[in-house]
Amino acid sequence: MGFLAPWFLAGVVALGVPVFVHLLRRQTTTPSPFSSLMFFERGIQSSTRHRRLRYLLLFCLRTALVALIVLAFANPFVRRANAGANGTLLMVVVDDSFSMRVGNRFEDAKRGALAILAAKPGGQRAQVMALGSQLQVLTQPVPDAGTLKAAVEALQPGDSKGSFGELGRGLRALTEMVHTPIELHLFSDMQRTEMPGNFADMVLPGNVKLVLHPASGAGAGGANWAVESVEAPAQLADPKDKRRSRVTAVVAGYATPAASKTVSLIVNGKVVASKRVEVPASGRVKVELELLDVPYGFSRCEVRVAAVDGAVDAFPADDASVFAVRRSDPERVLFVHGSGEARSAVYFGAALGAAAESSFVLQSVSTEQSGDVDPGRYAFVALSDVGPLPTILENALVKYVKDGGSVLIAAGTSTARGSGGRGRIPVLGADGVEGKYYSREGAGFAGVAQVDSTHPVMGDAGVEKDGEWPELKVFYAAKIDAAKLGARVLVRLGDGTPLLMDKPMGEGHVLLLASGLENLTNDLPLQPGFVPFVDRAARYLSGEDRLAGARVVDSFVQLRTTGAGQTASAGVEVVDPDGKRPLALAEARTVQSFPLTRRGFYQLRFANGKDAVVGVNPDRRESDLAAIPEDVLKLWAGSGGDGGQAMPSLSGANIRAKETANSLWWWVMLLALVAAVAECVVAADHLGTQREEA
Amino acid sequence: MQRFLDPAVLAGISSLDLLARTVVDGFVAGLHRSPDFGFSQEFAEYRAYTPGDDLRHVDWNLFARTERTYLKRYRGETNSYLTLLLDASRSMEYTSGTGAKTGVRQPSKMDYARFIAASLFYLAIHNQRDGAGLIVFDDEIRESIRPSSRTGQLHRLLAGLEQAEPRARTDFAKPMKYFQELVRRRGIVVVISDFYEQPEVIVKAIEPMRFHGNEVVLFHVLDPKEIRPELKGPAVLVDLETQQRLEVIPEYTREAYRQRMDSHIEQMRNKARAAGMDYHLLVTDQPLDRALREYLAIREGAR
Repeated sequence: MGFLAPWFLAGVVALGVPVFVHLLRRQTTTPSPFSSLMFFERGIQSSTRHRRLRYLLLFCLRTALVALIVLAFANPFVRRANAGANGTLLMVVVDDSFSMRVGNRFEDAKRGALAILAAKPGGQRAQVMALGSQLQVLTQPVPDAGTLKAAVEALQPGDSKGSFGELGRGLRALTEMVHTPIELHLFSDMQRTEMPGNFADMVLPGNVKLVLHPASGAGAGGANWAVESVEAPAQLADPKDKRRSRVTAVVAGYATPAASKTVSLIVNGKVVASKRVEVPASGRVKVELELLDVPYGFSRCEVRVAAVDGAVDAFPADDASVFAVRRSDPERVLFVHGSGEARSAVYFGAALGAAAESSFVLQSVSTEQSGDVDPGRYAFVALSDVGPLPTILENALVKYVKDGGSVLIAAGTSTARGSGGRGRIPVLGADGVEGKYYSREGAGFAGVAQVDSTHPVMGDAGVEKDGEWPELKVFYAAKIDAAKLGARVLVRLGDGTPLLMDKPMGEGHVLLLASGLENLTNDLPLQPGFVPFVDRAARYLSGEDRLAGARVVDSFVQLRTTGAGQTASAGVEVVDPDGKRPLALAEARTVQSFPLTRRGFYQLRFANGKDAVVGVNPDRRESDLAAIPEDVLKLWAGSGGDGGQAMPSLSGANIRAKETANSLWWWVMLLALVAAVAECVVAADHLGTQREEA
Repeated sequence: MQRFLDPAVLAGISSLDLLARTVVDGFVAGLHRSPDFGFSQEFAEYRAYTPGDDLRHVDWNLFARTERTYLKRYRGETNSYLTLLLDASRSMEYTSGTGAKTGVRQPSKMDYARFIAASLFYLAIHNQRDGAGLIVFDDEIRESIRPSSRTGQLHRLLAGLEQAEPRARTDFAKPMKYFQELVRRRGIVVVISDFYEQPEVIVKAIEPMRFHGNEVVLFHVLDPKEIRPELKGPAVLVDLETQQRLEVIPEYTREAYRQRMDSHIEQMRNKARAAGMDYHLLVTDQPLDRALREYLAIREGAR
């Protein structure tokens, strides 16, 4: 409550008027002239009666009347949420990304969010969300303060990477359904790495007013050292093989001075290797460690950086990077080739042996010898230009794939019709396949036009960047209708012919190369990208990359192959870093993928029965604590609605600004009128003409 | 002059004749009946002739018819003198303000007395052709105009009334003494006052005028609030004459005061009548003509 015209309160001095009238004036009665006092006598009681507050009720009414009139002029008002504030959706978004674990950022953000919700007008709807890699809706738009408060209090800091671009996308999607004005309060550390590549992605819609609440200490940064990346074998056959058991870690400093650090490799809780490195100021250093003693089975490994000279690390949580290593004997790979073609086995075997991170033993057999081979004993099977397979092998392969095995098929020339083949691709059962020859003269060969770099086989870094595939010359390719086959095209030639396809079958995969693995139908084996390709393909097909190694928080692990849910009877199993099983039984039978949202080690059991342990690390971009520049924040806050504002404090002043002052003038005047009427009645009773007494 | 000669008031008075109660000496025929039989034109009775009577008064016509000598007697008429004593003390200045009944402004007692005096003067001089005089007094004689019926007397009297402003206190002894020196002829003496004095003292001071054969009339002029004061609460009252202050309470005015005032009026009335004087209480909220008419009616009835 306040007064619109507080200066009128000075009129309170008018309260002295009834006091004067009732207390003072009556004591100093004005003498009245009279003809003669010969018949009068002195009234002894009068003096004492003057000093009494005789008309107490009248005095109170007159005082109240004066006070109410003064109050009416002062124009009192109460703050009340106006219709606009009630119509505005208050949205509280708390950044729960990994970097919010620094200091008390997250607790401060929660306190700020609670303060905003506490200052919210009672009828206004509000919604609580958490911002990580995705915008997570915690409550529906409700006016209930208890629900909102509980949602905020239940917030826990996450391990994901925050993304303001995700916030922008989420809000844009939301405002397509919600057309009311939105006041968005974002509690975040405003980390620069959370900005998307394109500023337009984080621009908010027009009806969203953004109010930024930078977390305490945000922008100050602080020296932070982190294990930026670790390259380690997911599977290890021979620890003594230094080439394969090598662990390469990169230690990076963000806004740091030059410092000495000790980098340790910890396997199952034991430090097996340690090195001291000099990390340059705000630089990075590469450290190589060796996994010399790893037991069979899964080992939980960790690379940890520790201070030597006691330098303070602003963010200790990112000083370690975990990964899992599975030690086993080298797995065998069945390579079936046509009887007249052995060159592909040489190339493939050589590439497989040269692969740095995988250890496989290639067992090469010809088609004729493959009749009694049990595919289930192999990590995966490769068929190279095989032509018609023995039925028993093909049936075994189909079952093998459906149970979770994988097959690499290089169609070669013998599958195509008209070139000795029957135009049928084994295992896949595609018929009517014809071959297409390209000229070897000049530039008549076919080149790669399109590469799906998101597929694991094609590599994370992108083949185009490495120059592996654009130089590829293809002289022959089987014309396979990928759409009909239901396969995903990974590489497509210049004329649109699919060169590499991935076809999931049951729990397994079939990777189909429309050309051959020898250097006759193409020059792939001669390309420098051949070895990495074989390495990735081998790991993909064997499922080795899924069984161990490291992942990034918010990545998904595929527990069963797409479309296998209807027939799968085996359940999957996930044990999170806390030892809990996040999947219910019903989910375990149907879920296809699982998001890795926590850092630490996950234990997985896939639908094909294979067990895996993966280490999950937060995105290392979260380690860079540098904040978004102030001008960018202003630009962002001003991008939505009627201009947002960056708020350094967490007070609810802006909420109060949304309230309107409802004047009580009419009510006060009404009361004054009532008091005036009552005063008239009482005064008439007390002070009216004295009636003659009989 | 118009202030005093309100036509409405005069219209009420003109319907009645002012008759002197006592027969005064005079030879001019008038409305006043002389106590002596004279030779005016109104026949009264016959009386047998006795030796020594003036033969001019013998009714010779009757002697011719009856051969008896009778003297013819006529009712004598004469002019009377009206002397008005007006109290001009400060207490006559009092007024209670607006009248509760009529809603018009209540005249002060002095004004009311002036109205009465002017009305009587006009009635006496203009209608009755009587002589009229005025004595204005408080504790001294402030103004005195000898009774006369000469032309211009009415104007002088009214001017005397105009100049009579209330001041000082009331003292009846001095004016009465002066009155006896001033007025030699008998007539009507009207005393207008609020009579704030002991009734014995008043009657004792006025009584000598009655002994000289004057008809004395006391007009006791009071404000209604003097008879029935209304106090809303304790008040301080100031005596207009003595400037004495007194704190009074409503309870007293409602009971004791009224009793004392009623007793005072009653004593005034009784003692005045006992002394052969007429007494009339005039309250300033009563109509002026009504008061005069009542008085004249009383005079008429008393004749």
